[in-house]
Amino acid sequence: MGRVLVWYGELTTASSLARRGLLLLLPGLLWLLVFLVIPGLLLIPLSFAERGPFGEVVWTFSLENYRRLLGFGVLGFSLDNLMALLRTLWVALVTTFICVLLAYPIAFYIRAQEGGRRYLLLALVIIPFWTNLVIRTYAWQLLLAPEMPLARLLAALGLVEPGMALFPSAFAVYLGMVSAFLPFMVLPLYSSVERLDQSLVEAVQDLYGGPWRAFVHGVLPQTLPGLTVGVILTFIPAMGMFVVPDLLGGAKHLLVGNLIQQAFYTMRDWPYGAALSLVLVLMTLVALRLYRRYGKEVDLA
Amino acid sequence: MKRMLAALLVFLALGLAQKELRLFIWSEYIDPAILEAFTKQTGLKVRVDLYESNEELIAKLQAGGVSQYDVIVPSDFYVPSIIKLGLVQPLDHAKIPNLKNLDDKFKSPPYDPGNRYSAAYQWGTTGLIYRKDRVGEPKSWAVIFKEPKAPFILMDSPREMLGNALKYLGYSVNTKNPKEVQQAGQLLLQAKRSRYFLGFEGGVGGKNRVVAGAATYAVVYNGDAVKAADENPGKVAFAIPQEGATLWVDNMMIPARAPNPEGAHRFINFILDPKVGAQLSNFNRYATPNKAALPYINPADRKNPAIYPPAELMKRLEFILDLGKDNRIYDEVWTAVKSR
Amino acid sequence: MKISLWVRAVALGALAFLYLPMLAVALFSFNKTRYGLAWGGFTWDWYLRLFQNEAILEATRNTFLLAIISTLLATFLGTLFALGMERHPWGRRFRSFLENVLYLPVVTPDLILAAALVVALGFLRALSGLFEPGLLTMVIGHVTFQVAFVALVVGSRLRSLPRELDEAARDLYATYTQYLRRVLFPLLLPGIVAGAMLAFTLSLDDFVISFFTAGPTSQTLPLIIYASTRRGITPEIHAISTLIFLLTVLLVLSAERLTRRSA
Repeated sequence: MGRVLVWYGELTTASSLARRGLLLLLPGLLWLLVFLVIPGLLLIPLSFAERGPFGEVVWTFSLENYRRLLGFGVLGFSLDNLMALLRTLWVALVTTFICVLLAYPIAFYIRAQEGGRRYLLLALVIIPFWTNLVIRTYAWQLLLAPEMPLARLLAALGLVEPGMALFPSAFAVYLGMVSAFLPFMVLPLYSSVERLDQSLVEAVQDLYGGPWRAFVHGVLPQTLPGLTVGVILTFIPAMGMFVVPDLLGGAKHLLVGNLIQQAFYTMRDWPYGAALSLVLVLMTLVALRLYRRYGKEVDLA
Repeated sequence: MKRMLAALLVFLALGLAQKELRLFIWSEYIDPAILEAFTKQTGLKVRVDLYESNEELIAKLQAGGVSQYDVIVPSDFYVPSIIKLGLVQPLDHAKIPNLKNLDDKFKSPPYDPGNRYSAAYQWGTTGLIYRKDRVGEPKSWAVIFKEPKAPFILMDSPREMLGNALKYLGYSVNTKNPKEVQQAGQLLLQAKRSRYFLGFEGGVGGKNRVVAGAATYAVVYNGDAVKAADENPGKVAFAIPQEGATLWVDNMMIPARAPNPEGAHRFINFILDPKVGAQLSNFNRYATPNKAALPYINPADRKNPAIYPPAELMKRLEFILDLGKDNRIYDEVWTAVKSR
Repeated sequence: MKISLWVRAVALGALAFLYLPMLAVALFSFNKTRYGLAWGGFTWDWYLRLFQNEAILEATRNTFLLAIISTLLATFLGTLFALGMERHPWGRRFRSFLENVLYLPVVTPDLILAAALVVALGFLRALSGLFEPGLLTMVIGHVTFQVAFVALVVGSRLRSLPRELDEAARDLYATYTQYLRRVLFPLLLPGIVAGAMLAFTLSLDDFVISFFTAGPTSQTLPLIIYASTRRGITPEIHAISTLIFLLTVLLVLSAERLTRRSA
């Protein structure tokens, strides 16, 4: 194939371009294929395998893992695994929602500042974003201890027993999740909020009256791109989170992430872990699909 | 040329001297002074990695640890599986003359006839550590299994935790009856649902949380609790409930592809020395399997029923056995308990 | 632009909420008492003991070694990938295939990445003992998610470079490698540096991938901190956490300065 063309100022042929391009792509592509794509696909047959008595993989075709997932376990039928899946969805949704609620005020607040202070505030948001999650999460263990002000306050109000820490508990898990993901939501949202056309919002406000309407019809559509990125960056990792429920939820508020970690790490039950991982991927894909469809509708409005 | 050879020799010598011994052991289980003494005597630096449970040990071994550690310290009820999995190498008794110091009970134990692969390290029991400044001595496992009224922590160890639940129910810790094991599992699940349940921790983790005040009860190993009681007078104490508890023997073994098996043998021999064995037990407050070390043990510890249970108490305690194929029952029940 | 008091209050409250835990950790890193939270007096002890704590020193060394090696490798692979993707004519289907492959590590929860890695490394281990859990497997794990980020950052920079620049430059340089060296790379450098910095921070920060790929001699600081939560947190851990936090503050502020100057 000797068709000569000019590409970015270079006189060459399509085939030599393709050859060069592939050469450049190949190392990175191969790496991702070998260490990500192919093993990911391997999870599928692995999920139909079984665990041997000592943790090795026995390659058969068995629906045992999925049956266990659905609740048909050794101690009789239980909804607990399905509950864990639903709980994961719920926690991820609530976390994302609370993050959105908090991120808008933060973004607007930053926007309302002048140049230098803006950078400072953005840096303040970025710093926890880059701080290690384990550190940020165990720090909550410290803050929620019985001797700390928050626990004492709640005990004084009679909401908790005096002397008991505020973790492990669902409350602690939500605290940990929101504080983990808030920066992920603020940063993309801010990039949209920064470009907000104030005059448009005021026009909408004139048309509809009331701040709520102004928000929904004026601010929301304009900030949708940033919001979308923020929601995706929050919701999806939240579904796969295990550090926060592990450190702050004890053994009671297990999310799918914890089950997967147990399967791969402590129980050495790779087939079961693979099945769980695939279910997580499925849930993530479905959620993405739904969001894209719903998101389009909001766009049209 | 001669200078180069000399430099090479020095370099090699340094290299050999830098050789290390990799010890993989339970946390808070060995006196750092013993490691220093070992280094002084042999020139081998000891590098310590810690684990909190037998399951963690085996998982790490199977994930490559078998060629990265020199000495491991599993519990007796896992020794047969570890041997069967080919994870360890036989001991060369010629390199461990101090093996003769072991008490007869630990020479050629049922889980490793002839001490082919293991040498006993310490032995002890499980039980409850509790805040004596908050609650009275727990007489029964009911304080955590039946309507618990104070924060508690369960032990993250399948056979031992299920074993104690079985004891409470009046069954053997080695029962092969699935229904009994399932009952024990249900008991644990019930305990999990209590608002006072704070989680599963290894023995040391649970002990530390009780000492820090976060929990009132924790299922722990006796030595850790005795040590904590001494370090925190008036705050914590140890008790074995009347229904009984589980017994264990920890053993030193050498992984199949250990980097320094020579050093490993020397280490095992070092630990089995009478004075070192006593120093070890006086530090971690566990019972020594080393008959020759007994004269050097703290007299107070020798008389402490929490460390050396008298015959009366021993009747209520039970060793956990490897059940071969039937291990599976416990595995499955435990998985269900952990993942709900 | 004026904002209501409500908005201001919520914003400041949320920002405080983000920092409270770390401040508590920093505070207690100076506490004399070892167990529990009673204030026993101010001390630098725990910080000083860090320098004698071999496990922590080695973990620090491992953390940085891992970050540097993986960043170099990922930057190399990612830049080549971006060049191949952005500067060559590909059909729409191939192009979107490439983009999907790149977005995969970014969008997937890192737990799934780790699971896939565990499986991949398990197979490779059967072929060669080289893949026992250790620094090599951790580097492999880190590069896998870093490559995509680097390629995306460098790719977006490539897209922003106008075609005319290349076309003018190509007149001057006969060979492709000359062109790369003299023209493209200097222009691309800010993007490559940005990608490398992103990869570096991602590696320093990582916990989940490291957790599943680490071996006994390759513990990193996040792993040590996590293991401490299982055993009992000591003020030494508070001290190292505070130091890591301060390092992050330094990195972020200097990155802000750098980007502001170049922008």
